[in-house]
Amino acid sequence: MKIRREIPHTLAGAYALDALTEPDRVRFERHLAGCEACRQEAGSLREAAGLLAAVSAVPPPPHVRERVLAEAARTRQQPPLTVDALAGPGAGRRGFGWRAPRMAVALAGGCILVALVLGGLFIHTQRSLNLEQAHNRTIATILNAPDATIMSAKAVAGGGATVVMSHRDHALVLTTAMLPALPAGQRYQVWLMGPRRTRAAGMLPAPHRGMTAPMIVSGVAAGDMVGLTAEPASGSAVPSSVPVLMLVLPS
Amino acid sequence: MTEGQPGARPWPAPGHDLAPLLARVARGDQAAFATVYDHSAAQVFGLVRRVVRDPAQSEEVTQEVMLEVWRTASRFDPHRGSAMTWLMTMAHRRAVDRVRSGLAAAQREARAAVAVTDYDVVAEEVETRLDAQRVRRCLDSLTELQRESVTLAYYGGYTYREVAGLLGVAVGTVKTRMRDGLIRLRDCLGGGS
Repeated sequence: MKIRREIPHTLAGAYALDALTEPDRVRFERHLAGCEACRQEAGSLREAAGLLAAVSAVPPPPHVRERVLAEAARTRQQPPLTVDALAGPGAGRRGFGWRAPRMAVALAGGCILVALVLGGLFIHTQRSLNLEQAHNRTIATILNAPDATIMSAKAVAGGGATVVMSHRDHALVLTTAMLPALPAGQRYQVWLMGPRRTRAAGMLPAPHRGMTAPMIVSGVAAGDMVGLTAEPASGSAVPSSVPVLMLVLPS
Repeated sequence: MTEGQPGARPWPAPGHDLAPLLARVARGDQAAFATVYDHSAAQVFGLVRRVVRDPAQSEEVTQEVMLEVWRTASRFDPHRGSAMTWLMTMAHRRAVDRVRSGLAAAQREARAAVAVTDYDVVAEEVETRLDAQRVRRCLDSLTELQRESVTLAYYGGYTYREVAGLLGVAVGTVKTRMRDGLIRLRDCLGGGS
């Protein structure tokens, strides 16, 4: 908390050396997400820190190689980051450019999609997910729904959101990546914006390495859109700023 | 990035650009993965062992790192840095995570004693490398406080606040020295190539 008022730039060296505590690192990466020049500097300092790694090559014992190769042969690989898809062709449209490939998610068993969405986006949250079995099960149920639909939207100022929704369950799972950092004291708030009224749907979790853990939004009705606005950290009753991102849900 | 030369750093076997191999690994090519392992495991293990110290734990961490390479090869973006930097960044982070976890807590005190003096060992190992003299000269070009801040954090696995405590200087000073030290290191090594 103490570093809030400091110039985040000064942490670039400590960051490159992995010398930040977890909270400091999360905060710094939030800063990086919204600052291209900082990302470049952090990248070049990483390269410099990498030089320190180059000075101590020691071959590991042969059994490590055997174990690694055997383990790899039975370990599923992660698909490419969905962030790349967000920054890719379909997201290139102006404004609310959203993509709804409507991948009818009838993949063989929901496990695959769980792995795809959660594994693909959130390898670093696996531990906490394991601790939240109920949360997990709800997510799995939504991802498993016969009418589950996945879609992405790009935020106006960079980053984006991915949603898997099910009308059957009146619910959706929301994740975001690389949204612009907010000033201290502000958080992103999620809204369901329907034809008749807008409902607060909760605060977006704090990002980890630029990404937020899957958030369940329930009470989704036909005609709703998902919106994200910057609000005071305590949340607002009604949106107080222009949405940074809007996502039209399939009807 | 100040340079767009993936692989043009003082890593072993500079002729081996791992980036195309990683692309094959991302598609599930186990032979390509074995090659990546062969060209990077010694670097990974060497670094992990320096940070973690305990040989058995270092093997475990190395195994974790290499499996992470296998699992996340599709995430490697050659436009954002060299393959080795990507890989060693993961290795270093995992090593640091390990020493900061409770598992290695007992060894922290011992590390405090050796982290600084290790610089000489590092320097010796540097001598054996192709770019040895340049790296050595660049490390030498740092001020003492810069060098200690950088090496305590990198090889000792300490946070910048802990480094400040160990060196008895202000936290802000350490942050600045770390950044300035890395910038000097970067400019020194980048300048000659």
